[in-house]
Amino acid sequence: MNKLTAMLFTAAGLALFLHSAQAFDLGQELRNAARELQKPGGSANLGGYSEAEEVAIGRQIAGNLLGAAPLVQDKKLQKYVNNVGRWVANQSERPDLAWHFGVIDTNDINAFAAPGGYIFVTRGLYKKLGNEAELAGVLAHEIGHVIMKHHLKILQQGKMLDLGGKLLGKQVGDDKISKLIGSGAEIVSRSLDKGAEFEADRISVVLAARAGYDAYGLPGVLQEIGHSAADDSSVALLFKTHPHPDDRLARLGEAMDSRFDNLNGQTVEKRFYKTK
Amino acid sequence: MKFILLYALLIAGSAQATESGITIKSDALKAAPFSDAKIVATLPAATRVEILKKDGGWYQIRSARGNGWIRMLSIRRGDINKPSAGSSASALAGLASGRSGTGKVVATTGIRGLNEEQLKAAHYDEKQVTLLESSTSSRAEAQKFAASARLKARQMDYLADPGVSK
Repeated sequence: MNKLTAMLFTAAGLALFLHSAQAFDLGQELRNAARELQKPGGSANLGGYSEAEEVAIGRQIAGNLLGAAPLVQDKKLQKYVNNVGRWVANQSERPDLAWHFGVIDTNDINAFAAPGGYIFVTRGLYKKLGNEAELAGVLAHEIGHVIMKHHLKILQQGKMLDLGGKLLGKQVGDDKISKLIGSGAEIVSRSLDKGAEFEADRISVVLAARAGYDAYGLPGVLQEIGHSAADDSSVALLFKTHPHPDDRLARLGEAMDSRFDNLNGQTVEKRFYKTK
Repeated sequence: MKFILLYALLIAGSAQATESGITIKSDALKAAPFSDAKIVATLPAATRVEILKKDGGWYQIRSARGNGWIRMLSIRRGDINKPSAGSSASALAGLASGRSGTGKVVATTGIRGLNEEQLKAAHYDEKQVTLLESSTSSRAEAQKFAASARLKARQMDYLADPGVSK
């Protein structure tokens, strides 16, 4: 909290220094931001963006990521993933966000989330899935990042100028978003803290269960990925940015305990869309 | 090409047979995949098992101490003689250097993997974003989709963080 407050004021000082000539009630904005920080939960409110701002940031990141790996050219696949993802997102605290899901064309095994409800799974990961519940579990983990605003938080914590950039963005416009998110889709390859990943795992199994699926979809995928060979480059980025699947499974096992024992979820194997 | 296909089939076939695993903690082996099913045995941590089948959160297994069902999350899958990726410090160090660490590029279809440099260098593609948004499902559309597989929404609270003592 102290560190955050200090960061806030340093950023404020820079912003004032750089743009003191502009007619803009920076003082008021900073007081608002400071108030956000002091709310219960502290940094949970750090990403004090409006929903429109959040979506604009996410859209830019999504476009950058798609610049690195385009969508798989299969309309049916994309629609299927949107149906599954949206059904799971409907069970979250943000059912009215315009959620977008896509399968991107790379053999890398990974999934990505950007603020505002932009979620991607790679073709490499999709091909490892055996049923709809596993897809739901993977998407639900990413939905967890979005509803907890994990990436928005690192955008703000990552750079001293972020807060200044955000406040000034209100005046200067969209090019400030690019400045905020850094180059390209770098943000999606940045590690969140381990706690955020474990939290998204716990959210995943609950959202999947709420949606009527077998809650063990994500754990099944993690077990599958967990014993990938160490020299498999397709998991390099995933392993670098996430705790090891074995650690995630151990934590998830503790958290789930016996709470899911009498829930009979569906795997929906029959309908699962197979890619070529 | 035919040879590759045959090879792929062979691999798929052998993977489907049985898979080995190991218990990561002591847990009860049950007669059926339910928490209130009869206990067949208690497997200590580090027991080698053979995984036969999955049912929800349970694996049907064979072991020297008995056969039955055990919680999936009490098992680590894979050949225990071969350490899994990243599970040792040296493997992690190798991975941290990314693709150059392995010198291997997945090239089965000619599409390369995603690394940090590529992500950093990526340029915004508006056409792709528009394409992405063209497949978006509405809340109601997804509800219909779920109903067609008889998926029903149900209530459930989020899980507490086991790392935080209360």
